[in-house]
Amino acid sequence: MNASTIMLTSIFFPVFLGIAILLIPAFSSRKQLLAVTGAGLVITGILALWTLGSGSTEVLLLRLGDKLEIYFHPDNLGYIFTVIVTIVWILSGFYSFEYMKHEREEKRYFGFYMITFGILLGLSFAGNIVTFYLFYELMTLLSLPLVLHSKTREAIMGGLKYLFYSLCGAYMVLMGLFFLSKYADTLKFTAGGVLNTELAVGNEKTLLVVVFFMIMGFGVKSGMFPLHAWLHTAHPVAPAPASAVLSGLIVKVGAFGIIRTVYYLFGASFIRGTWVQTAWLALTLITVFMGSMLAYREKMMKKRLAYSTVSQISYILFGLALLQPQAMTGAILHVVFHAFIKSALFLSAGAIIYKTGKTNVDDMTGIGKEMPITIWCYTCASLALIGIPPADGFVSKWYLATGALSSGTGVFTWLGPVVLLISALLTAGYLLPITIKGFLPGADFDYENLQKKEPNLYMIIPLLILAALSIVLGIFPNPLTEYIQTIVNIVL
Amino acid sequence: MDNLVYSLVFMPIAGAFVSYITGRRYKKYRDYVVSTITILEFALAVALLSKYVTGGLTGNMTEMSGVCGLGLRFTVDGFRAVYVCIAAFMWMATSLFSIEYFGHYRNRNRYYLFQLVTLGATVAIFLSADLYTTFVFFEVMSFASYVWVAQDERAESLRAASTYLAVAVIGGLVMLMGLFLLYHQAGTLEIDKLYEACRGKDVYVAALCMLVGFGAKAGMFPLHIWLPKAHPVAPAPASALLSGILTKTGIFGVLVISCKIFLHNGVWGTFILALGVLTMAIGAVLALFSVDFKRTLACSSVSQIGFILVGVGMQGLLREENRLAVRGSFLHMVNHSLFKLVLFMVAGVIYMNLHKLDLNEIRGFGRKKPLLAFIYLMGALGIGGMPLWSGYISKTLLHESIVEYTEELAQHPGAAVVFTAGNMKVIEWVFLISGGLTAAYMTKLFVAVFVEKNRDAALQEKYDAQKNYMSLPGSAVLTIAAFLFPIMGIFSGSTMDKLADLGQSFMGLTESGEKVAYFSFNNLKGGLTSLAIGAFLYIIVGRLWMMEKQQDGSSVYLNRWPGFLDLEEYLYRPVLLVVLPTICGCVCNILDKFTDTITSFLIKAGAVTAGFLNTIADAFVVLLRKTVYRDHTKMGEPKEGNELTNYLGGLANAASDLLNRTLRRGRSRTADYKHKLALDYTGLKETIFLITRSLSYGLILFCIGLCATLIYLLVGAVK
Repeated sequence: MNASTIMLTSIFFPVFLGIAILLIPAFSSRKQLLAVTGAGLVITGILALWTLGSGSTEVLLLRLGDKLEIYFHPDNLGYIFTVIVTIVWILSGFYSFEYMKHEREEKRYFGFYMITFGILLGLSFAGNIVTFYLFYELMTLLSLPLVLHSKTREAIMGGLKYLFYSLCGAYMVLMGLFFLSKYADTLKFTAGGVLNTELAVGNEKTLLVVVFFMIMGFGVKSGMFPLHAWLHTAHPVAPAPASAVLSGLIVKVGAFGIIRTVYYLFGASFIRGTWVQTAWLALTLITVFMGSMLAYREKMMKKRLAYSTVSQISYILFGLALLQPQAMTGAILHVVFHAFIKSALFLSAGAIIYKTGKTNVDDMTGIGKEMPITIWCYTCASLALIGIPPADGFVSKWYLATGALSSGTGVFTWLGPVVLLISALLTAGYLLPITIKGFLPGADFDYENLQKKEPNLYMIIPLLILAALSIVLGIFPNPLTEYIQTIVNIVL
Repeated sequence: MDNLVYSLVFMPIAGAFVSYITGRRYKKYRDYVVSTITILEFALAVALLSKYVTGGLTGNMTEMSGVCGLGLRFTVDGFRAVYVCIAAFMWMATSLFSIEYFGHYRNRNRYYLFQLVTLGATVAIFLSADLYTTFVFFEVMSFASYVWVAQDERAESLRAASTYLAVAVIGGLVMLMGLFLLYHQAGTLEIDKLYEACRGKDVYVAALCMLVGFGAKAGMFPLHIWLPKAHPVAPAPASALLSGILTKTGIFGVLVISCKIFLHNGVWGTFILALGVLTMAIGAVLALFSVDFKRTLACSSVSQIGFILVGVGMQGLLREENRLAVRGSFLHMVNHSLFKLVLFMVAGVIYMNLHKLDLNEIRGFGRKKPLLAFIYLMGALGIGGMPLWSGYISKTLLHESIVEYTEELAQHPGAAVVFTAGNMKVIEWVFLISGGLTAAYMTKLFVAVFVEKNRDAALQEKYDAQKNYMSLPGSAVLTIAAFLFPIMGIFSGSTMDKLADLGQSFMGLTESGEKVAYFSFNNLKGGLTSLAIGAFLYIIVGRLWMMEKQQDGSSVYLNRWPGFLDLEEYLYRPVLLVVLPTICGCVCNILDKFTDTITSFLIKAGAVTAGFLNTIADAFVVLLRKTVYRDHTKMGEPKEGNELTNYLGGLANAASDLLNRTLRRGRSRTADYKHKLALDYTGLKETIFLITRSLSYGLILFCIGLCATLIYLLVGAVK
C-alpha cells in the first residue's frame, strides 16, 4: 500500500466501521460489540501511526470547484495532532469498555465513537481550509450523540447548547472563508499565509475583521470568552470517557483551526500589532482567569474540570496570540500536555463516579484510601496541570511565560505571566483539595469499614498511561520541544 | 564528581519508593531500609566534603542536559558541601529517632516515602548550580514536606498544613514569576554567571519576586506565618527538619539573590537588613510569649532566621569589608540547624511520652532526668549565646559586623545608604535585646520543664518515676549532637573558623583575614550585655507578667499575647479565602453568564415581538371570521366525514356487530368505524389541501421570480 492509501484508509476505516456498528443488529451483543470496537481502535491506531511513518504524502480526493477541493496533506503539526488523537482516543475507548457498562445503548455510543475517531484523523490530515471546515462540521455533528448519550433533560439541553454555539462559531468561520477565498490565491495551508498581497492591498481593514471573526469562530470550540458557555454545560453531562475526549481533544481542534487560520492562511505578520492581536490577547486572558475562578468555586467535580478546560485552552490561545516563537512552542506543547492531563483527570472523575457514585468534591473524603491508584493518577495529572516541576505543565508554562516576556506586546508582556500564575494558584486551589481530602481524611476517619474500590484494569491501565505520560513528558520534554520548534521556525 | 552528585540526589528518591514498597509488607524491614538509606546518604555527603577539601573533585559542574526542559545543573563548593553534610546528618539523626517516635502511628509508610523524597530534593537544592534546578527541587521539596505537617491528620494539623501548602504554593509561583523576569533580563539562570549577567540591569522586581518565594520558606516576616502554626502540630522529627534544614533552603535562595545578583549592593543590603531586624525582633517576642514548648521553638526559629538575615543584610552594606558578616551569617546558619535538631528532639521526647506540649501540663517532666536536662541545656546555652558555646561565636561575629558598620558610618556619614550611624545604633540594640530574648525564652522553657514542679503532685510523682523515656539509639544521637556545641564553642579556631573558611567563598569572600579574638573584652561585653538583658526580661515578662498565682498558691503560665495580632487569621485567610474569591467570583460569574444572558434576552425579545405581531394578526383574523368568513354549517350534514365515509363506516359497524353476535360471541365492538374512516378522510383532505396550497405557493413564488426576471431582462434591454 502506498502512503496515501494508508492515510485514506485510516480516515475511512473507522468511519465505515462505526456506521456498521450502528446498522448491523448482530452487534447488539456486548461481547461482539466490544471485540469489534477494540479491534477497530487498534487497527485505526496502527493505520494512523503507519501514515506518520510512511512519510509525506498528499491526496486530492475530490474537486468541487475552483478552490473547493477535498485535499489531504499532513504536515508536522498534523502529525502531532494525529498522535495525541490516536493515543487519547484508544485509551479512552478501552476505558469505555468498563465504564459504559453502567450506561445504556452502548452500541450507539461506540458507533459514534468510532466515526468521530475517523473524522478527527481526517481533520489532522486536512491540507486546506475547505477540507478542514468539512471535517470540523462533521466532528461537531457526530460528537453530538456523545454529549446527548444519557438522554436526560440536562444532557439534551447541554447538547442543544453545544450545537447552537458550535454552529454559530462555524458560520463565523464560513463567512471568513468566503472573504478569504476572494483575497487568496489558494486555500491550501501554506506556512506564512496565502493572502494575495495585490488583492489585499486597501482591504486590510476588512480582512482584519474577517480574521477576527474566524478566530472567534474557532474560539467557540475552544471555549474562548465570550462564547465559552456551552463548554461547561455540555462536557459534564457526557459519559466520562466522552468528556475526556471532548475536553482533551475536541476543544483542541478549535486551537488547531486557529493555528491553521492565523499562521497558515493569513500569516502571523498580517495581524501582529493590530487591534485583532490586542483584542485576542485580552479575551484569552479574561478566559484564563474566569475559567479558573469559576472552577475554584464549583463543587461538582466534572463541572469543575470543564471550567478548568475553559481556562487551560486559553493558555494555548494566549500563547498563539502572542505570535512569538517561544510562546507558540509553549502553546503547542500545552496542546499535547493538556490533552493527556485533562483526559486523565476526566477518566479519574469517571472512575470515582463509576465506583462510588460521588460527584460532589465535598463528599470525596477518604477517596484516596478507597481507590489509591486512581487518586495517585489524579494527583500526578493535577500537579502537571498546576505546573509543578517535574511534571509537564511546568515546561509549557515556562515557554509561554518567557515567550510572553519577549513578545513586545506592551502591557501583555508581564500581565500574561501574572495571569497565568494566578490561574495556576487557583488550579492548585481547585484540584489539590480532592487529593488532600482523599489521602488525608482526618484522624477520625473510619478505617474499619474501608473498602477497596479500585476499578478493574480496563480503567486503571489507561489512567496509569496518561498519568505517567504527564510526568515523563515533563522530565524529558526536549525531543517533543525540538519537533515543535521545527514547526514554529517555519511559520514564524 | 558526577556519580557522587547523582547518588546524593537520586539515591534517596529511589530509596523512598523502595522503602514504601517494603513497608507495605514488612514494617520492620522498612525501618531498616530508611535508616540504611539515611546513613548511606550521610556517608556520601562526608565523602563529598572530604573530597572537596582535599581537592579530589574533578570538574565543577554536573549537567543533565534537557531534563525538565532547560536541563539540571549541579555544582559543589565549600558552602554546598557543608550544607549537604548537615542536611544528611540531620536526616540520619531524625530517622534514627523516628523509629521510636512513630512507634504506633498510622500511615508511617507515607511519612517515610515523603521524608526520603524531601531529602533528595533538599540536597539537590543545595547542590544546584542554576536557579532553574533550584526551583524544580524547591517545589518537589515543598510538596513532599507538606505531608509531614499533616501526618497525624488531626483537624489543627490539617489546617496548619494547608497554611504551609498555601504559603509554599503562593511563594513558589511568585518565585517563578521572578525567575521568568530574571531569565528574560539576564538570559541565564546559572548562579555563578548571574552577577555578570545582571550588572547594569534593573532586576529589582525579579529579585523581589524571588525573595518572596525564598523568604516564605525561610520564615521571613511577614511570610513567617506558617512556622508557628506548622511546628507544634508536625511530628517532632519533622519539625526539626523543617526548622533546621528546610528554612535554610530559603536562606540559600536569599543568599543567591544577595551574594550573586546583588553582591555588595548597599540598597539591597538595607532592605534585607530591615526585614531581618523585624523578623528577629518579632520572632523573639512571639517566642517569649508562647506557652507551648514547640511553638516557642518555632518562633525562636523565626527569630534566628532574622539574625541570619541581619548578617546577610550587613554583607551588602559592608561591601568589600564584609568578612565578619559573611562568616557570622554562615556560622549562624550552621549553628541554628544543629541547635534546632537537638531542641526539637527534646520536644519530641517530651511529646512521645506525654502527648502534650502545653507548658502547664508538661511542667516538671524533666526533673530527675539528667541526660535530657543536659541535652536541652547544651542546645539552650548554645542558642542563647553563652560564651564558650557555639552560638556565642556566630552572634558575636554578627554583632561585631554591626558595630563595624556603625563606626564606619560615624567616620563617613556620607557613606550611609539609608540607615545613618544613629539608626545603626538602634539596630544594634534591637540585636542585643533579641539576643537577650533568646536567652529569656530558653530559660523559660528550662525552668518550666526541668526545675519547677507540676501543679498536680500525683502527676509529678509519675513524671519523676518515669525512667525509660528515651531509647538507646535516640539518646546516643542526641548526646553526640549536644556535645558538639561546647566543643565548637571552645575550640572555635579549629572548628568554626575552618567551617567559615569553607563557606565564605559562596558569599563572594575569598581572603581569610586575621583571626577574630572571640573572647576579647569588647566582644564579651556584647554577649554579656545581651545575657543581662535576657535575665531582666525573663524576670519581668516570663515570671511576673506571664505567670498568674492561683488560689492554692501555685502559679500557671498564661498566654498574654493578644489574639488579634495573628496575621494569618485576621488578614491572610480572610482576604485570600473570602474577600478576593467572592469579588472575583462575582465578576467572573457575570462574565460567564454574559453571552447566555444576551442570547436568552434576544430570544425573549424575539418571542415578545412575534407574540405582539401575532396578536395583531389574530385580531384581524377574528374580525374577519366574525364578519366576512363567518362559519356556517349546512343542515343535515354529518358532523364529521362525508356521506361516503358515513355509509361505509355504518356498514363496517354493522358487519362487526353481526360477527360479534355470531362467530365471535361475547365480545363488544372496540372501534367506531364511522369515526375511524372520518378521521382518515379528514387527514387525506388536509394533506391534499396542504399539497395544493404549497404547490400554489411555489407557483406564486415561481411566477414572482419569473416576473422579476422578466422585469430585470426588460430593464437590461432598455438600458
